[in-house]
Amino acid sequence: MAFWEEIARRIAWMKGRSRFERELDDEIRFHMETRADELEQEGLARAEALIQARREFGSSLRAREDARSAWQFRWLEDLWADLRYAARAFRRNPAFALTAIACLTLGVGANTTMFSVAMELLFSEPSCRDARSLVQVSVGRHDWTLMPHYRFLRDAQVFDGLGGMNIGMVVNWRNGSTSYKLAGTHVTDNFFEVTGIPVAIGRPIERGETDVTVITHGFWRRRLGSDPNVLGRRLVLDGKPYTVVGVLPRDHRMLVGFGMTPDLYLTKDVGEVTIYGRLPMGMSRPAVYARLKPVLREMDRVFPDRDRKWGEGAKLSGVGGMDRLELQGGAGMQMAAFMGMLVLVTGLVLLIACANVSSLLLARAFSRSQELAIRTSLGGSRGRIVRQLLAESLLLAACGTAAGVALNLILTRLLSGVRIPTPLPIEIVIQPDWRLLAYCAGIAVLVTFAAGLVPAVRGTRAGIGSALKERERQAGAGRWTLRNALVVGQLAVSIVLLSAGLVFLRNLLRASSASVGFDTGHTIMASVRAVPDSSTTAKTDNLIGAALERLRALPGVESVSLAWAAPLNPFLAFSRVGGEVRPDTSSHAIRTQYNFNAVGPDYFHVMDIPILRGRAFLESDRQGAPAVAILNENLARLLFGHIDPVGHTVLLPDNREVRIAGVARNSKYVTMGEENAMALYGPFAQHGDGWSGAHFFIRAKGAPDLLLRQVNATLGDLDPTAAVETWAMRDVFSWALLPSRIGAGVLGAMALLGLALASVGLYGVLLYAVSRRIGEIGVRVALGATPARVLGMVAGESARLLGAGMAIGLGVAVFAVRPLSMFLVPGVRPTDATNFVAVAFALSLVAALATLAPALRALRIDPAVALRQE
Amino acid sequence: METQSSPELLPGTLFLLILRTLRSGPLHGYAIARRIKDASRDGLQIEDGSLYPALNRMLVKGWLAAQWGISENNRKARFYRLTPEGRKQLEREAGDFDRLVRAIQLVMRTA
Repeated sequence: MAFWEEIARRIAWMKGRSRFERELDDEIRFHMETRADELEQEGLARAEALIQARREFGSSLRAREDARSAWQFRWLEDLWADLRYAARAFRRNPAFALTAIACLTLGVGANTTMFSVAMELLFSEPSCRDARSLVQVSVGRHDWTLMPHYRFLRDAQVFDGLGGMNIGMVVNWRNGSTSYKLAGTHVTDNFFEVTGIPVAIGRPIERGETDVTVITHGFWRRRLGSDPNVLGRRLVLDGKPYTVVGVLPRDHRMLVGFGMTPDLYLTKDVGEVTIYGRLPMGMSRPAVYARLKPVLREMDRVFPDRDRKWGEGAKLSGVGGMDRLELQGGAGMQMAAFMGMLVLVTGLVLLIACANVSSLLLARAFSRSQELAIRTSLGGSRGRIVRQLLAESLLLAACGTAAGVALNLILTRLLSGVRIPTPLPIEIVIQPDWRLLAYCAGIAVLVTFAAGLVPAVRGTRAGIGSALKERERQAGAGRWTLRNALVVGQLAVSIVLLSAGLVFLRNLLRASSASVGFDTGHTIMASVRAVPDSSTTAKTDNLIGAALERLRALPGVESVSLAWAAPLNPFLAFSRVGGEVRPDTSSHAIRTQYNFNAVGPDYFHVMDIPILRGRAFLESDRQGAPAVAILNENLARLLFGHIDPVGHTVLLPDNREVRIAGVARNSKYVTMGEENAMALYGPFAQHGDGWSGAHFFIRAKGAPDLLLRQVNATLGDLDPTAAVETWAMRDVFSWALLPSRIGAGVLGAMALLGLALASVGLYGVLLYAVSRRIGEIGVRVALGATPARVLGMVAGESARLLGAGMAIGLGVAVFAVRPLSMFLVPGVRPTDATNFVAVAFALSLVAALATLAPALRALRIDPAVALRQE
Repeated sequence: METQSSPELLPGTLFLLILRTLRSGPLHGYAIARRIKDASRDGLQIEDGSLYPALNRMLVKGWLAAQWGISENNRKARFYRLTPEGRKQLEREAGDFDRLVRAIQLVMRTA
């Protein structure tokens, strides 16, 4: 490209610069001498001919300068000079530069960190070979597929390889005498071959292998102590030995994204998988989709399903970017919205920081107005001076952004170590990449202009005459309205931030004080997972009986029960059943969705959930006895209205008829935020077949913490191959609060940071105002103004700014916080009037603090000194 | 890009004239000025001061290449020659110029 060749020639010129100068001199001399030769032939004397030639040539200096400038990157050299000048100015006034850079560092650090986290969670590239030609294959409206269907698709060979993965599986790892629950991702044997997931040490799982595993870096480090001889080590997983053949790199990112990281990958037939396919070389997604269509029609013939056609909702989606986010449906979008909001909020903090810098630069431009006026009068064009002032803000922005990026690297490094122990743990690895780099460059440019343009234009606008006389003029109130406007803007934005922060704080308080509908103070939950295949029904029944008996025998235990699902854990929780339910009191079925759990006889007693009507489950509600169920209030009201449901029967979506034994009080089932959730309980004994995991609930007489270890040991001793995890219910509850905590923590921190920056801005403006009015105040004091009056002057100024900022901020906040309600638990209203009162009060308090020092400064003005200084 | 041209020249024509002058072969700076002056029968006078900046601009653009050699008066001189790029540029500019001049003439005659 011609443009780049030109740049290359210019750069080559720069390298040979001194030779160029010499040659240009030679060339011009040659020109003059040749002309002189000519003139000599026309009859002039040599000396005269030379003078004449020189005169004809004109200014050789000018010609040389112009020839040189043809090669130079003029603006670049100007910029360099401007930057050097700015750096010198900052060295003379380091307090100014440091304040500005510190403000920017905090703003940029907060904002880019949020950006990094959001990008990593939402849009990180999965670790695999050529992510672009890898697609997730969904057929028949599902993003998972049963194994026979998967095999059929694989053997159709539409793709250049088709592998399956099942992410959220649990395996028991028997290590010594105890077993641990691990997050094991099950994959088909060709999965690594199809996806090309890179392995750091060793090799991936290969085709035909069934007894090998590839472990993640985190598991290797945490649980195996970074054992250097890990390859070949045998891990007993679900009672079967597996050989470790590979360790994944530290920055392994799963295909599903969102920072989810299992402990290990292993091959196992788990019934259903999510399918990933490799597009054949050079084929586009639509082309492959067209080839898939006839295969899906063939599937309709081989695997007929009266409810659906296989082609329905069939799609190939990418494994990164928006595609992956869309696959997650509502949850993905909500997460994106939440991260977007956090980036926006931190962006507001950055804006406040920019206003501070802008305000500082403005003050500087005013105090330098004489210098600028002199430069203008000496012929410096305004554009040139504006550019020079912009170079100052560019330098500040560059330093601030660089320091902010350093802060970002520290913060993201800290965040990268965090592991959220959800069943499929979330562990994000944030590494600086080109996206962060591009974002930061954008931020730096934005900051340069946001902070620098107004002061630069404004600072050079004053006419030469007035600026030169500036010193003599009295700076009246309202003279620097622009700085005041900036502070008003800062105060307004911090009101918005504070309002948002407070809303999330109240959300946290509300969520933590909200009644979950069961007792969390005295209960312990122990989750037991037996190795699936090893358990027969008779064996597990015995095991459960023994467990209940031994737990009851522990000193300090009041009562014990068990259940399939654990409350308030979206991963272990109640299975959601949707469909038509028909009560016998009604002629037609009612469509609904409810949470189902199978619970033991004492469950309602242990959890302290009152049975409002009828009875709880009894020992007699066993296999073979009439099927019974207990409804919660919500479901009872939906199905039976005001009729007492006890004794009536309902037909469930799975065509089972159950008799209603009782009605239990409403409680929380899956999340804290749910409202009016329906629930149906069945007796554990009538649902217990196919059992491989259960949760025991233990009610302690005293504090539950003392019992934790004993409970864990008791259950562990019963079946050493079973993995046991024990928590106090209080901790389970606190996990449920995690989203609210993160929201409150981040927004609270940002609100405080914004407030601090805005108060620094207010402080700076007031102090500057006082320092500009020293003479005036001195005169006033000399003429008998009381300290109260002087104080009133400063406080009045502060109050004026605060009032304006508050009015604007509250006006904006009322609308700005409205959309936050989608992240809040029900019952927290973002536009609660008391919020705004509290925010206004907090801001006034901080403003008063920021006014204190400037006010004291004004009070200390000694008229004698002040007037002499004038 | 600002071009320094003598008042007698239409703006932008200096490059064109230089390119045209070099079409028949390499010349040094003085010869270029001389050739233009002679060819125009003294109608066009290139200011010496603006010739060298223009030559350098054209070097930057890659239209010309320069080489040191010995002049007819036995002095060391810098000879400029057209690059293929420069030849293309000459064709483009000459065509544009012809059209422009024809259009102006039409207007001058008929309007």
